[in-house]
Amino acid sequence: MAKIAFITPDGESVVVNNAEGNLMEIATYNEVEGIDASCGGVCSCGTCHVRVNPNWIDRLGDKTEAEIDMLDFQPGADERSRLCCQIEIGSNHDGLILEVDPL
Amino acid sequence: MSGCPYDPFKEHRKKGVLNAKLDGDEIPMILRHKDLKLRAKDWETYSSDAPFRVPIPAEEDVRTVRQLPLEVDPPEHTEYRAIAEPFFRKPLQADFIQKIENLIEELLYAIGNNEAIEIVSQFSLPLQSRALTYLLGVPESEADELISWGTHVFRTGDGKQKGAQMEAYINAWLDKAEENPGDDFYSALTQAQYRGRHLTREEMAGYCNIMFAGGRDTVINSVSFIMGYFAQHPDRLDQVRENPSFIKTATEEFVRYVSPVTHIGRVCPVETEVHGHKVKEGQRITLGFASANHDETVFDSPEEVRIDRKPNPHVGFGFGIHNCLGAHHARLIMRTLIKKLCERVETLEWVDAKENLEVEEDYTRTVSYESLTLKVQTKSLDAH
Repeated sequence: MAKIAFITPDGESVVVNNAEGNLMEIATYNEVEGIDASCGGVCSCGTCHVRVNPNWIDRLGDKTEAEIDMLDFQPGADERSRLCCQIEIGSNHDGLILEVDPL
Repeated sequence: MSGCPYDPFKEHRKKGVLNAKLDGDEIPMILRHKDLKLRAKDWETYSSDAPFRVPIPAEEDVRTVRQLPLEVDPPEHTEYRAIAEPFFRKPLQADFIQKIENLIEELLYAIGNNEAIEIVSQFSLPLQSRALTYLLGVPESEADELISWGTHVFRTGDGKQKGAQMEAYINAWLDKAEENPGDDFYSALTQAQYRGRHLTREEMAGYCNIMFAGGRDTVINSVSFIMGYFAQHPDRLDQVRENPSFIKTATEEFVRYVSPVTHIGRVCPVETEVHGHKVKEGQRITLGFASANHDETVFDSPEEVRIDRKPNPHVGFGFGIHNCLGAHHARLIMRTLIKKLCERVETLEWVDAKENLEVEEDYTRTVSYESLTLKVQTKSLDAH
């Protein structure tokens, strides 16, 4: 388990103390503003787009081809971008901060 | 014909394009997944600023208004779309979700006496029509009018006559909303601001037109397909019962596999070339969503329905800025249907069906059912 935080497009922070498992599910369970997760996690909608601090990028696991492809077409996506639905959170992610992209 | 009836494009995909004879024209259809995404994004080359000509066949003869926000490019598109967006997010609200749950239960119990029933007309059509009244925020009795238009307003029966009837219906509602605004979709349009002014009547009617013409046959066909699929594969429904997370993945997979919109057009404002086919200024191309959703370089065994397919980067709701506004609504209907089939249905028995075929000169594609007869046995209400 890890303590992580989402910063919503409005600048509010949503702190999750016992985060574990799929990051998209964590975000929707905690009703994080800006995470629609419309497709339910199959990597077809891009509505769970977040940015992470560059120091964290390597610790979030590799992107699948489907994610790379979705992000390629995501407006405003950059090298810090990830899709929550493709990330599994464990105890090694304590302190992770995620900036939510506006929908 | 061999191969997957939902994907008649397999051979053509090797070339990347099918110069399809459609609507009395030759229109290059983009067939590969990545290729389609690139072109869907490039609105300057492949424009939607073309009233009546984004859908193929073109709809000059069945409507008089530009459909919004479908038939417009950025930057206008961004503002037109923002006006409609809040209404289309209603299906994310708890009370809306509850209404859809109640509706689907009611409809399932109405047909759930194990007698042979025609699903398209007796289940899918009323389901979509009544669910649409919730989205519009109008009395549920309005569904009767929508049901009378059939599966597709323009393409089922006399499109000209029904198109005119629909426009009259829309205008009557807009008149009413202008006089006495409520909290329905029409009233929201009469009050909306676009670049510091009210919408014109034509613009308002343009939003309503696509509301009735766009998202109907697509949802109806998806619902019918789901019913037919689980009647033929009861073991799969058991799998969903055991693992409810499959409700969402199965929904996306049905959208991918069925691809209720086979393709949708764009108009080229300047001459361009598509895989060696010259497209003259003012001519059309078309984005082949169904083919892209069966692209074997993206989807393993695309001809198989895999209810747990993940990832599933389909383009069944389109792609890019024009992606389906009604996707929240459509997903809610499909997910709730699967959930209620799990909870409330004892047996779903296949009786008979007639496939819904899209017949074109270069291909014939199956898109769900024209008619589907099943025997549905719901669980006893006491068992709740």
